Amino acid sequence: MASTEELLEAYAEWRGRSNGNPRLTSMVRGWDRVIHFTTVDTEQGFTMRVAGQQLSELTVGHEGQPDVVVSGSSEDFCDMFWGDLNPSEKYMSGEITLLGSQQDVMRIDAISMVAFLDS
Amino acid sequence: MSEHVRECEVVVVGAGYSGLAAARHLVRAGVDTLVLDARHRVGGRSFTEVSEAGYTVDRGGQWIGPTQDHLAALAAELGVATFPTFTEGQGVELRDGNRHLYVGLIPTSDPEGAADGIACMLHLDLAAFDVPVDAPWDAADAAARDAQTLATYLDSHLTSASARAILEVAVKAIFGTGSGELSLLFSLFYLHAGGGLTNLARTTGGAQERRFAGGSQQLAEGMAAELAERVLLGAPVESVTYDADHVTVGARVVPPGADPADPAAAHHGLRVRARRAILAMAPALCGRLDFSPPLPGNRDQLGQRMPMGAVTKIHAFYDEPFWRADGLNGQIVAPGSILESAFDNSPDDASHGAIVGFIAGDDCRRMEAAGPAARQAAVLDDLARAFGPRARTPVEVVEQHWPAEPFTRGGPVAISSPGALTALGPALRRPVGPLHWAGTETATQWCGYLDGALSAGLRAADEVLHALQGEPVGLD
Repeated sequence: MASTEELLEAYAEWRGRSNGNPRLTSMVRGWDRVIHFTTVDTEQGFTMRVAGQQLSELTVGHEGQPDVVVSGSSEDFCDMFWGDLNPSEKYMSGEITLLGSQQDVMRIDAISMVAFLDS
Repeated sequence: MSEHVRECEVVVVGAGYSGLAAARHLVRAGVDTLVLDARHRVGGRSFTEVSEAGYTVDRGGQWIGPTQDHLAALAAELGVATFPTFTEGQGVELRDGNRHLYVGLIPTSDPEGAADGIACMLHLDLAAFDVPVDAPWDAADAAARDAQTLATYLDSHLTSASARAILEVAVKAIFGTGSGELSLLFSLFYLHAGGGLTNLARTTGGAQERRFAGGSQQLAEGMAAELAERVLLGAPVESVTYDADHVTVGARVVPPGADPADPAAAHHGLRVRARRAILAMAPALCGRLDFSPPLPGNRDQLGQRMPMGAVTKIHAFYDEPFWRADGLNGQIVAPGSILESAFDNSPDDASHGAIVGFIAGDDCRRMEAAGPAARQAAVLDDLARAFGPRARTPVEVVEQHWPAEPFTRGGPVAISSPGALTALGPALRRPVGPLHWAGTETATQWCGYLDGALSAGLRAADEVLHALQGEPVGLD
């Protein structure tokens, strides 16, 4: 189980890598979205936004109407943000779930995989 | 040879999923319908057999995935259970003489290449979702996209050679042909119809998610059982004579046990006179029938420009799925090998092991001349590289070389060469007099798949119902 501080720290690192990755920024061109994360173990909510090809900071709590809801354990989110976990494995096993339109889910899936591979 | 004559309201040519779905819909609406099929079986490109060693083999289409709602509804109606494709563990990538293990959608031994491939798949899918599935020829830049191949697109959007090779494997598995033969516009349409390349390539959450317990042909048999004597097998159709209001289909009727492809085996001729006909066959096969009057030029050209893909489906059966004990899920991605893609195809209870693989495109064509023994030896070599020496000694190998199948002539689907869709696409579903077109190639959702075959059959049946009621058929 990861603490809120650990999760925010891991995300900040992931965000820094992602926003500086031309391949990733090209994948979010014209894709401005609100994404909610829900930790199923600590039952916490987080919000991130994609706007202008950049990922926002992660804020605690669910804010705004989400386009995609990502649910999983705090530990898996931390590992994914640190680049230690292949997110595809967790999607396939159902341990991380994505809820949203098919195209939004497809985009999150691809972005998280590229972030992992480029980490 | 004597000739028999039958009359009905609608004659359906082809007892695959599409033709049977159409006929069932019509019969349920009270329309006198007769289905003819050349083979002594129903199912078309869905073909389940029990092998000599006693294994149930799906020789053709076999998977069901999310959003294949027509297929799911039919399975539920007929009480045919499904079970998940085995995906636990790691896949094997064979490339450049090396063996790597991976988890997920795409091999990751070259992370840079994998990231390049995933980004390209996303951009390709996003482009696909902009192509209207009911009229791809109306897409933005349709002419420009139809003038290039999928290969051109991949070559210009990928920087990594490994990603290019892996995506080519996916393309060949999906279309049964290489990207150099595929119109980009057609490819985008096809991907959109199936929810995107990512969706089509996936097992869990995608097109290969589940299988039918006991095989996919049961669903065709279930539909045929409802139609009973309205399905006539061993009746290869040879001619279609039509005017504005009637159609006469000429067939030869072959007794059970005789080869339907052998004209000398015919017992008698059959002429079926009807008000409407549904041709539930791939466009290229429709073009082999003798139409009188001849079909409009564009419809015939369409058949000439939509050739079948080329695929050999091979099963290797073992006493047990021994690769699972090594933490492997049975999936293989092997660019440049004969067996470029494979899956664990063992039964749900794992009472024996089965790997199913595909030899596709030019590999399939090249290996035709080599023959079954050479094909199987090459496949076992690849399986041994992936799973170790035990893979060399299967209990049985069963192959289905679809291009040699006289009444299918390839698979899994007809593809569209550059330029064909924009010039001829509107002819794909447009009725010609009393002739209506079904088959998975005419589907707008899950084109090329069993689900698309069903929806295409239902759409054609609805057209016929409208036409029989004197209503105009709205198309295009």
